[in-house]
Order: sequence, then structure tokens, then C-alpha cells
Amino acid sequence: MDRRTFIKTTGSAVLLAPVLLREALAAREQSLVAVAEGTDYAAITRRAITAVGGMKRFVKVGDVVVVKPNMGWDRSCELGANTHPLVVRAVVEECLAAGAKKVKVFDNTCNDARRCYVNSGIEGILNGMKGVECKHIEPERYKKVVLNGLFLKEWDLYDEALTADVYINVPVAKHHGLSKLTLGLKNVMGIMGGTRGFIHRNIDVALADVNAHVKKHLTIIDATRILTAHGPQGGNIADVKVLNKIIASTDTVAADAFATTLFGLKPSDIPVTVAAFKRGLGEMNLDKIKVMKA
Amino acid sequence: MRMTPARVFQLFFLMLFLILFVQTEYRGHDEINAAVNTFFRVDPLVLISCLLATKTWIWMLFPALLMVVATLLLGRFFCGWICPLGTILDLVTSRIAKSAPLKALKGNTKYWLLLPLLSSSLFNLNLSGLLDPIAILLRGLSFFFYPMLGLAARSGWVGLYHTIGERRDTVAPVYNLIRDNLLPFRDTIYPLALFSALLLLGIIALERFETRNWCRNLCPLGTLLGWLGRFSLFNRVPTGLCGDCGRCRELCPTGFDRDFLMKEECIICMECSKGCPHDRISFRLSLKHKGIGPLLPERRVLLGGMAGGLLLALPARFRPPEKGSRLLRPPGVRSEDDFVQKCVRCGECMKVCLKNALYPATYQAGFEGIYTPHVIPRLGYCEYNCTLCGQVCPTGAIPRLPVESKRREVIGKAVFDKNHCLPYARKIDCIVCEEHCPIPEKAIRSREVQITGLDGVVKTIKEPYLVEEICNGCGICENVCPLETKAGIEVFAVNSHVPISAQSSGEGTALSNPYQ
Repeated sequence: MDRRTFIKTTGSAVLLAPVLLREALAAREQSLVAVAEGTDYAAITRRAITAVGGMKRFVKVGDVVVVKPNMGWDRSCELGANTHPLVVRAVVEECLAAGAKKVKVFDNTCNDARRCYVNSGIEGILNGMKGVECKHIEPERYKKVVLNGLFLKEWDLYDEALTADVYINVPVAKHHGLSKLTLGLKNVMGIMGGTRGFIHRNIDVALADVNAHVKKHLTIIDATRILTAHGPQGGNIADVKVLNKIIASTDTVAADAFATTLFGLKPSDIPVTVAAFKRGLGEMNLDKIKVMKA
Repeated sequence: MRMTPARVFQLFFLMLFLILFVQTEYRGHDEINAAVNTFFRVDPLVLISCLLATKTWIWMLFPALLMVVATLLLGRFFCGWICPLGTILDLVTSRIAKSAPLKALKGNTKYWLLLPLLSSSLFNLNLSGLLDPIAILLRGLSFFFYPMLGLAARSGWVGLYHTIGERRDTVAPVYNLIRDNLLPFRDTIYPLALFSALLLLGIIALERFETRNWCRNLCPLGTLLGWLGRFSLFNRVPTGLCGDCGRCRELCPTGFDRDFLMKEECIICMECSKGCPHDRISFRLSLKHKGIGPLLPERRVLLGGMAGGLLLALPARFRPPEKGSRLLRPPGVRSEDDFVQKCVRCGECMKVCLKNALYPATYQAGFEGIYTPHVIPRLGYCEYNCTLCGQVCPTGAIPRLPVESKRREVIGKAVFDKNHCLPYARKIDCIVCEEHCPIPEKAIRSREVQITGLDGVVKTIKEPYLVEEICNGCGICENVCPLETKAGIEVFAVNSHVPISAQSSGEGTALSNPYQ
């Protein structure tokens, strides 16, 4: 091989490699969204987890796992503002069964933390479980993290969420005044500190900035009942629609994209989803997502 | 300190007071069963001043009537057996060296305090809480010492994290136990904190001159109880010092200034009877003894004290009007006049307030409103499902309401400041206030508008607006407004406190927790 051929071959190889690699990866990992339906919420949660490969795929023996539900509001379970306690408990039990050393459950709440933890029913249902920690946010654990995003250059993120071996995102699907819906991508706000309201100025881009930094091994969306209006905290049972569904995926964007359809909307209607898709954080085109009934 | 029955009771009630004090906080239950307000509900000074001021009977204060009756029968036992401030004085006084009693405090000083307080109450100015010993103690604890304890503990705990990091978790169970059962939930700095502490410490410092200096020379509650106690059937025999001994004078913490027992100053501690070397002293039931000296203080003091109250009542009512627009009272308070007449300024509502929304007024409500609670939304908001302040208020100045009613009570009304609010002033999205508005139908709503941004680009943003009829003024909007310093939405006081409609507050929806 002469010098010219060598330069040509290596040059084109260097240029083509990323494209080829991306194609190869895309072919291997088509985003899979598992949907389980039923009235036994613990059972459908387990079925959805099994469908995406079972908890053992994510949690190894001795791991520290963070399960991050939405329990931001002082609203009782049936009002659909917080993740259903039965769903949270089922996820936690699966983690423990897979060998997790410790499961931490927390949220940076909007209302008084004590009332939210109690009224959501989550603190109560986890009470007494061995290896499970459901404690309030401790401000000293926030770390200033360099995000170098398009809107957020740096922000305070909760250290326990960043250092955990596995991070499981367990949002509830509901309406939101500004971002239209709040699903998996927006649930990450629960590990943000500081004046979180600041990001409302450019919420789509800001959430993409944070989500790009925070690895979510699994997203489980609680759509057992969804809040269709007056979100994100609701308060009127008339706004709640019971769907008895659980959605699970390793791709948060894909999970959000599918959940959007439950509200009669398209993924492209939700700027947060679109911004995350454009950032390359996951797939939002429903025809490229494999939806599996679990 | 020798253990006598009185001492045992004193320590028991001091412990009870402290336990109830710590219990006066949200600890996972919507209802607080026993709060420190019990002490105010048996307080005759609170009872009489509230009755004089409101001119109506308050059933919540019925226990204080029982205390009046008990005092009429047994004497001024409250001070020697129950009063937690008196117990604290008894505990520290032996460590404080005494100089001579202060002459200036002797004579009629106590009446010059009590009588104006009572007569000004008659003229609708109820300031008795300012000098009520239980209130002084509670305010000193609530506003200064308890937050200090919390701050110290938490700083230490956070410091430990910065030193040893995650390894702190090994001792977390111990800290959690203390935090959950003893410490305040969050560190709050109150206005008048230092003044409240100094008042309490000043009373302790008075022990430098004589034992129970505050109790025998100043305390308006003690003076009132002492006066009632003069009618009691429970008497010390002999009434004076014996010619051959006189040890009573050393033993007695209050009443033996002269050669005979001042009945209105005897707190029935029975130290004299325990310490008598001759076993001559007993306390007996008898109808005869009514104390020494005239029942009422001299006319000059009586009339002067009454006039003093009147003279105080009028100028004290001046209020700076510009402060009034932001003077937000706790939920359920509908009439400002009624409220200041009943409020004993004990500080319990401010201690228990879930989000630390309540702070003592310094000058916002004029002199008459000093120490009364008001909401500062930028510091804390009224939590939608919380009813704690009404539960702990000893006089019903803040009414005790079921949660469905409390949600509808109007504290004030929110108003947008379009010069600050981001969508109006800077043409960008925000509506954090709408997100947090707890009214199920949303008192803050938004509409999409097409505007030209400050950069000249035409875009669609959401502009918030207020639906005033269903705003209860909880203040969460002002609290969470992401602007630095001044908020773009603020809650202002209103004259009409007509509750918002039941429908808008989501009444009828079950809010119980089905998983407990």
C-alpha cells in the first residue's frame, strides 16, 4: 500500500466511522417501550419491568439504587399529582429482589416535604422495609454540576442521584400548565436544587441540558391514573382519568413519546420531548419505537 | 433544692410545658392532640383580659375560670406549683448571688402594671400577653432559644457532612431520632427574637436582687392570682413570725418581707412548714383569715391605673396605613379588631406554622399589634391542607376550622406587578405561580399571547392572570416567584374576607389517604 492509498483509506474510515457506528448501534437498540395494563398496580409494574429485561438487567447485587418518584405535591393518591405508592413499592421490591444493597426514594418537593411524603402515601407504604431509605432532601448534598448546556451552564444537582449505581425514574403522567405534560424528562427536576422556577424561562432546553447529564437506567411512567387538566398538582377528582397502565423503557424520550398519546396528543406537541429528541437523548418517532404489550 | 410535693409538681409541669412545646409542631399528623396552648387556657389573666376586651364569653377559656375558682379556694398555688417560668427561676436562683431588693419595684409597682393592662383591655386594647409570664417564656423559647438549638444542631450535622462526607450516614439514625422528635423542622429567624430573649433573660437577671423578684413585684398574672388568693380558705398557721425564731423569713421565697405573711404573695410552696425547726407550721382550712392590709390598693393607684389604661388605649391604636396594605392575618381571621382583642401574642401559631409563614408584627400593626402574627409570603406561604395555627391558638383569635373551610378562607388577594413579572416585563415564559396555585380550578391562570420579544422576535408566550374571586391569598405564588428579591406577584390585604366558593376549593373530593 502506497502512502496515497493509506491516507485515502484511513481518511475515509475516520470520516465514515461515526456514521457507521451510529447506524450499527441504532439497528441494535431500537427503543423498546413496554406497556402493561391491569388493575393490580403492583403486578402490572412488575410485568412492565420484566418486559424490558427484568430488574436484574439493571440492578446488580450490592448496588445502591435511586428510585425517584414524583411526590412533589401535598395531594392524596387518587388526585393523580404524585406517583402511585403501589407502583413505587413494586419498583422498590423488584430492586431489592435483584440484590440491591440500598434503595433510596426521595423528591425535592414543591409543598412542605413532610406533608408531601405523608399525603402521597409513599413514605407510609415504604415504612419498615429493610434496605429502603425514604428521607427528605438534605440541602448540603447538592453539588454544583457543570452542565455546559445550551441554557444551563451549571446547576445544583442532588449528589445521591448522581452517585447511585442505578437511577430509576418513576414519574406520574400528568398535565402541566407550561410544558403541557410532565413525564419522565420533567421528573428530573426533582433532583435539581436552587430556584428551580428559573428554568421555566426556557424549560425545554433546560430540561434537555439536565437530562443529557443524568443517566436514567430505566424510566417507569405511572399512568394508572392521569391528571388531564389543572396540572401539575390538580386537586379535583374530575380531572383524573383512570387508565390502569404502566409504561417502562430504558429510553426516557420514547417512554414520554408513547405516554403523550394517552392524552390524545402527539410527541411533537410537547416541546420538552422535541428538545430532548433533537439533543439525541432518545427516540420520539412512534413509528421507530417498538411498543410491546406486557 | 429539696424535694417537696410542690417541687415535684413544679418539675412535672415544667417538663409538661417543654414536651408540649416540642409537640407543637407538625409531626406527620394533621391534628395536634395536645399543644402548649393548654397553659394559656388555664391562665386567668388571659381569661379576664379577653373577656374585658371582647365583652363576650369564650368557651375555650373555661379552664381558666376553674383556675380562678381554685385560686379562690386554695390561694396563689399556681405560682408555686405550676408556673413554668417560676420553676425556672427557682432552679437558677440559688446560683445567683443576691444584693439588696430593689426599692423601686416595691410598693404598688405591680398594680401599676396590672391595672392599666386590665383597664386598657376594657377599652379594646388587649396587651396582657406582652407581660403574661407564660407568653414571655414561650416567646423567648419559640423565637430565640428553639431556633438557636435547631441552627446549632443542623450546622453541626452539615459540618459533619462536609468533613466526613457519606460516612456520616453511619450515625444518621441517632441524629434522625433527635431531629424527628426534638428539633424544629427548619431554621427560622424571627423579628423581635433578641428582644424576646432579653425580656426572658431580664426576668432571670432580676433574681440578682431577691428571689422570685419578678413574681412578687411585677408579674401581672401573679398579682391577679395573689389578689384572688386573699380570699382563699387555705391558710398558714401561724400567720406571722414566731418571736423566738424567724427562720421563715429565710425559707420563704416570696412573702415574708415583714414580720407577718403577705397572703397575696404566699405561693403555698410550704418550704416554711418543711423547714421549721419546731414543727409549728401548718396550712389549714379556715374561714377567718383574709390577709393583712386593705383588699384594694390605695385609691390613687386604683384610679391612676385605670386612667393609665385609658390613656394607653387611644394612642396605641395608631397604625401606619402603608403597612396595612400588606398586613396579612392567619387564615380564618376575618375581623382585625376582633383578632387583636383576642390574640395573646403567645407565639404558638408562629412556632407551629408549617411553612413558617407567620411572623410577629413589630410595627406593621401599630403598637397595639406588636407580637401579633402576620403572614410574610415571601418567606413562607400558608399550606393549603394545613390547619395547625387554628388548632393551637388558645383563645380562638385564629379560629379552629376543618380543612375544607380553612382552604376557602381569604387571607388576602394576589396582585401581579407587571413591571416585574417576567412575561409582562421581559416578554419571556415563566408562570411558576400558576403551577403552584393550590386552588383546583386555579386562581392564577394563563393565556397564550403573541408578542414581540425585547429582541424584536415575534413569539408566543403564556401571560398569567388572576381570577380574584377564587384567590384565597395563601401566598405560595409570591413565595415561589423566581425573581430575585421582590416578587412579580404579591398578596395584598383585603377588607372583605368572604370565603371563596366551595366548588372552587375542590370540596367534595376525597382527600383521605387510602394507603394508611
